[in-house]
Amino acid sequence: MKEHKGVRINKLPSGVPGLDEILGGGLPEFSFNIVAGAPGCGKTTLAHQFIFANATSDRPALYFTVLGEPALKMLRYQQQYSFFDAEKLNNAVHFINLSKALVDGGLQGVLKEISQQVEASDARIVVVDSFRSVLRSEQHDGREMAAQIFVQELALLLTSAEATTFLIGEYGESEMQDNPVFTVADGLFWLYQQVERNSVVRKLQIMKLRGQMSVPGLHTFRITDSGLQAFSRTLGLMARKPKAAIKKRLSTGIAALDEMMGGGIPQGDSLLIAGPSGTGKSLMATQFIAAGIRAGEPGIVAVFEERPEEYAGRAATFGLDLATPLRQGDLEVIYLRPLDLSVDEMMQEILDAIERTGAKRLVIDSLAGFELALAPGFRIDFRESLYRMIFALTGKGITVLSTLEMTESFTELLFSTYAISFLTDDIVRMRYVEIDGQLRKIMMVVKMRGGAHSSDIREYRITSDGIDIGDCLKDYTKLITGLPTRTKGPGIVEKSSDFTT
Amino acid sequence: MNRNGINPKIRDLAQKLLSLESPAKNLSDANIFAALMVSEKLRRPLSTLAGTAGFRSLLMRALTLAKREAPGLDGVQVKEDGSLEGLNGEETEAGTVLIAHLVGLLETFIGEPLTLRLLNEIWPKLSGVDTNSEGKESI
Repeated sequence: MKEHKGVRINKLPSGVPGLDEILGGGLPEFSFNIVAGAPGCGKTTLAHQFIFANATSDRPALYFTVLGEPALKMLRYQQQYSFFDAEKLNNAVHFINLSKALVDGGLQGVLKEISQQVEASDARIVVVDSFRSVLRSEQHDGREMAAQIFVQELALLLTSAEATTFLIGEYGESEMQDNPVFTVADGLFWLYQQVERNSVVRKLQIMKLRGQMSVPGLHTFRITDSGLQAFSRTLGLMARKPKAAIKKRLSTGIAALDEMMGGGIPQGDSLLIAGPSGTGKSLMATQFIAAGIRAGEPGIVAVFEERPEEYAGRAATFGLDLATPLRQGDLEVIYLRPLDLSVDEMMQEILDAIERTGAKRLVIDSLAGFELALAPGFRIDFRESLYRMIFALTGKGITVLSTLEMTESFTELLFSTYAISFLTDDIVRMRYVEIDGQLRKIMMVVKMRGGAHSSDIREYRITSDGIDIGDCLKDYTKLITGLPTRTKGPGIVEKSSDFTT
Repeated sequence: MNRNGINPKIRDLAQKLLSLESPAKNLSDANIFAALMVSEKLRRPLSTLAGTAGFRSLLMRALTLAKREAPGLDGVQVKEDGSLEGLNGEETEAGTVLIAHLVGLLETFIGEPLTLRLLNEIWPKLSGVDTNSEGKESI
């Protein structure tokens, strides 16, 4: 391994959950950063989180306000966040208004005031909010050069003072070209807030970060009572563990299905259960989770269409006790139904639950419900997001079972909508067929990436004990169209007696 | 802070601030002098925090509210730099009323804990004052 001989850059915690991972470990110490974005997208809150996470009386932060949000109102609003620590005010965190310095002395007056304050306090963190308003005072009548010189001098001053700096500005993306501020900056953080139909979608991008590798692309973030929380688009799980050549098989809780799958679901696989409404997809998922609990494998169920207590209650009607593992912490039912959810937030919820329970099995019931819970802006990326999520989870060795409701056609068999079948290792397809004036159900294993599986098309019923799989319907052809043709003599009606109920 | 008058707790706090600046009791001259001192001591840190214009607007609002209760303040004005002029000792309680409104406005905007923190930094002897008013109105 090559020995690292360069200067080691200390990384400061951003104070924003999830952001350090996106930054590549934290914010480089002594860096000169710009936080840009439209009004209301969280720039000031991000800066506050950073200063309250890092400032101490020995390493104080100076928060300069200029011609923007009045400082008293800023304090009024920011103290609503849980990260705000009143004990640090005027001790580790100092708010200083630069309006008079700007009005009286222009840019040089501001530079002089910042210099004096930084020197007097030995500040190690400096924020200027809004920096844009400082520059605006000179960016007219051919005074652009003065602004450029000011930025250069400020960067030199604050770097020499060993300060890590955030300059906050309301910039539009069109202003990025040839802007001296962005050229000088070590780090450029861009916050976006887009309205999609009735939902607000917030995203951030690290456009530039000198000295370390940040995660490229747009990352979702949310603003809550705790401030900003960021969700890396790689979900923090870039490296997928190599799958073992011979994997342990997990029981689905349905012996006949395990047999059809060649011994069960390979551990760490993603299994898709696809079928129309009422075919028993959710029941199969519940049996899969219950089988895991019996085998000592904690589980997580993400539901979008019913509440946790309803889920356990429904399981009980099939003789499955989920209430006990729920109580004991071996099972968590995550119910998420906000209509502005992002896949990344869902993923974070799941990862947190995995951490708490040590889960080995996950059920997502259903993908359609999941998609509906997303903000419209996130639905566009649903397929890609789902891929990232499943890739990340199975990479952690979690076996994922997803259900997918299909619109039934009686002329063809679709394996799945969304063209997501490639995302899954294994697919089980359920569907209705019309036989002898009855609407009956059939099941088949369509795909097993990890090995051989049965090619049988088998009839099944839903009983009070769960899914009961019968024999292969050998006397029919065109079963998968839903409108089969009998190929052998009378007997198909009697076939149903083969069930062991 | 009540828009129709001063919260008794805030009035007590203002009285205490004035007494820290002027030990003499019940003398109108002393009251006005002490109010001037309190305002001056608040001016610097609050101007640093909110800007000169920010402090000046806060003090002007406090003065407007105080004049309704203390007509003796009619001749008082706030200068550009946020200092007071025209204060005299005609009314015994005028200084208390003015400072109470100033502190009350501060509490309205940034809340009781931060307000007390700021005041305690200027007047360390103030620490230990309980300004919580019957659990309903702060300060």
